[in-house]
Amino acid sequence: MRSIALQNEIIFLILAVLAVVSSIVMITAHRPIDSALSFIVTLISIAALFGLVNATFLFVVQIIIYAGAILTLILFIIMFLNIKDENLPDEKYKNLWLLGTTLLILPFSAILIHLILKSDIALNSVTDESFGTIKDVGLTLYSQWVLPFELVSVLLLVALVGSVTLSKRND
Amino acid sequence: MLKAYMILSIILFSIGMVGLISRRNIIVIYMSIELLLNAVNLSLIAISGDLGDSSGHVMSLIIIAIAAAEAALFMSLFVVLFRKKGSLDANIFDLLGSKYES
Repeated sequence: MRSIALQNEIIFLILAVLAVVSSIVMITAHRPIDSALSFIVTLISIAALFGLVNATFLFVVQIIIYAGAILTLILFIIMFLNIKDENLPDEKYKNLWLLGTTLLILPFSAILIHLILKSDIALNSVTDESFGTIKDVGLTLYSQWVLPFELVSVLLLVALVGSVTLSKRND
Repeated sequence: MLKAYMILSIILFSIGMVGLISRRNIIVIYMSIELLLNAVNLSLIAISGDLGDSSGHVMSLIIIAIAAAEAALFMSLFVVLFRKKGSLDANIFDLLGSKYES
C-alpha cells in the first residue's frame, strides 16, 4: 500500500514537471507551430494526471477532444494560413514583457499557494471501483446536471452558426 | 496529494495568465486561454476525486464542451482576420476602436 502511494507520487512529479516545462515553452516560443506542439505535451500530461486520480472517463475525453480535435484544428489552421515570418508580430521586448508580467502575477500565486499549504484540506482518496467511470459520470450528468447539458447543446449550435457566418466571404 | 494538485493547478494558471498578458501573437493568446481552462479542470477533478463526488467531473466535461465551441469560433476569427490584415499581431486588430480607415 505504501509503495503504491510512493509510485503515484513519483509519477505525479514527472507529469507535473513535464506539464510546467512544456507550458513555459508554449508561452515563450516565437513561432506558433512550436507552441502548438508543446501545448499538446501539456494537454497529454494533464490527461495522465486525470488518470492518476481515477477520472478515467475524463482522461479519454481530454485526449480525444483536446489533443485529438482542438489541437488538430489549431495545427490545421496554422498550416492552412501559410504563415511566413513577416506575418508574425515582431515582439522586440518579448522577454522584458514576460519578465514584467511574471513579477506582476507572482505575488498573487504566492498568496494562493501559501493559503493552500496552510489550509487543512483532508486527504481521503476514494477507492470505490465505479468512481469516475462513464456510468458514474453519465448518471450524475443526466440526473443533476440536465439543464446545463441542454444549455451547452444550444451553445454549440450558436457556435456552429456563428463560425459559418463569420467565415463566409461577404462580397 | 490534493494539495500538490492544487499547487500545480495554480502554477499552470499563472503561466497561462503570463502568456495571455504578455504575448501579442493571437494563436499563443488563444492557447493561453485554453491553458487557463485546463488548470481549472485539473483542480476540479482533484477536488472531485478527493470528495468522492462526480459533480466535478461533469463540470469539467461542460468546460471542455465550451472550450470546443470557443475553438470553432476562434478558428474562424483567425481565418477572417488573417485574410483581412495579413498578420497575426493582436495590436493591429483594432477594427472597433480605430480612428482611421483601414
